[in-house]
Amino acid sequence: MEEVIFGSNIMQLFIALILVSTFMILGSTRLYSCVRAFGIQSFLLACVATVVGISTGKIDLYIVALLTLIIKAAVIPYIFIYIIREIKVKREIDLYVGISPSLIIGGILVVISYYLIRSISVITELSSFALSASMSLVSIGLFIMISRKKAIMQMLGILIMENGLFLGAISLTNGMPLLVELGIFFDVLIGVLIMGILIFRINKTFETIDTDMLKNLIG
Amino acid sequence: MISQIIISFFQIIIILALSPLLSGIIKKIKAFFQIRKGASIFQPYYDIAKLLRKDSVVSENVSWIFHAAPVISFAAVLTAGLIVPVFISNMPFSFAGDLIAVVYLFALARFFTALASLDAGSSFGGMGGSREMFIASMVEPALMLSIFAVALNVGSTNLSQISQTVSAMGLSAVSPYHLLAFVAFLIIAIAETGRIPVDNPATHLELTMIHEAMILEYSGKQLAIVELGAMVKQLLVFSLLANIFFPWGIADSVGFGSIAIALIVFLIKIIVLGAIIAIIETSTAKWRLFRLPDLLSVSLMLSFLSLVSFIIVKGG
Repeated sequence: MEEVIFGSNIMQLFIALILVSTFMILGSTRLYSCVRAFGIQSFLLACVATVVGISTGKIDLYIVALLTLIIKAAVIPYIFIYIIREIKVKREIDLYVGISPSLIIGGILVVISYYLIRSISVITELSSFALSASMSLVSIGLFIMISRKKAIMQMLGILIMENGLFLGAISLTNGMPLLVELGIFFDVLIGVLIMGILIFRINKTFETIDTDMLKNLIG
Repeated sequence: MISQIIISFFQIIIILALSPLLSGIIKKIKAFFQIRKGASIFQPYYDIAKLLRKDSVVSENVSWIFHAAPVISFAAVLTAGLIVPVFISNMPFSFAGDLIAVVYLFALARFFTALASLDAGSSFGGMGGSREMFIASMVEPALMLSIFAVALNVGSTNLSQISQTVSAMGLSAVSPYHLLAFVAFLIIAIAETGRIPVDNPATHLELTMIHEAMILEYSGKQLAIVELGAMVKQLLVFSLLANIFFPWGIADSVGFGSIAIALIVFLIKIIVLGAIIAIIETSTAKWRLFRLPDLLSVSLMLSFLSLVSFIIVKGG
């Protein structure tokens, strides 16, 4: 069953587009376009969940897709835009690693995750595309967290990692129990709210959300 | 044998006849988006005809390279025109070279244009030449990689064979790696044809021009050849884009009816691609020169991803 779903062309297409949206986040220097790319990525995840739902006939997955669409593709990007607008942050992101090197490192991470996934012998050849994509999302999310200076980008990085885990969970289990999914969605939403409040606090104390400045002593 | 020679001649004539029209159409579409009336779509023909009637003014200090460069570049681009499938997929001259030959024929044309720009000794020429080479150093690997992604799928680097196989596969050829390679190639096509955001073909502003800076010293008949060469190259890049990534409708055998249909389909594809380029040109600003590596590394990364996903999906 699993092979049929993940071998299908449309599924591969969505997964490739998810990878492309991740590279859009890696390759852009504007906060708004990063947030927009994250919204697109979540929308594509919802599409993946719907396709899996249609081919397995599980109603749960439609609910999961709908929740992804509402929470990750609409509410969370809105919270981001609200934060950006409220604290009047500079629209360009500062980087430790430049755009071109980031893209190249991203590509290397994709290859590494492919080889890591391939060494697991249980995985069939066909679902390995979804799994290595999810693995690369996790590693690229981590890379975004450590290579960007703005606290907002670190928040975005952890959400990309979460999206990667979601993709991995769907591709391995064809949909987890609804209760688990609901718990995760609630966690993510609360996490984003807490991180948002934290960013407001950082901004109030340090008058910047550049995490590089957090080392400075405040008297 | 005779029919194949006729086909080759016909293809060259079609390429020469259509390439100014394509430039004219792109300009017209751009004018439409900028709410201008714009020049007639046949204006490039008039321009070239006028330039051909004029004498060249040549600096006293130039060497033979300055005179030879337009001819060599033009010849290199036209030779590439014999290998690139335009309206028929089994090209008579496809045995003579594959996609690597096309890439290096373009590189040869570019090399001589850059040499000629240095030859006249004007400061703008040297600046344009160095910028062109800077961009070329990033465009070429990306161009190779993106076509390789499709070539791997077909199992051949021969352009005719790629075009035939993809067209025979039909819609099942549309796969993640195919689409990724297509987007990568689209970015490269913008860079290769010198369009916004890489270069602006409509301006002679000192600080930003690249291709225009290189040909600043040319006038009259030589300028006509250089301009026509650039237009032919643009048409060839577009037909590569059209006939490698979505070659459906291309004629696979010699026949009057199939070639007529293929020509019409080709014209539609080219106009659609021209419209896409025109939309991109109107909606984006020209990028700073030092931000271009970012754009081109996006293209390089997309073609790389396309190769990787090909290997993952096919289980290499």
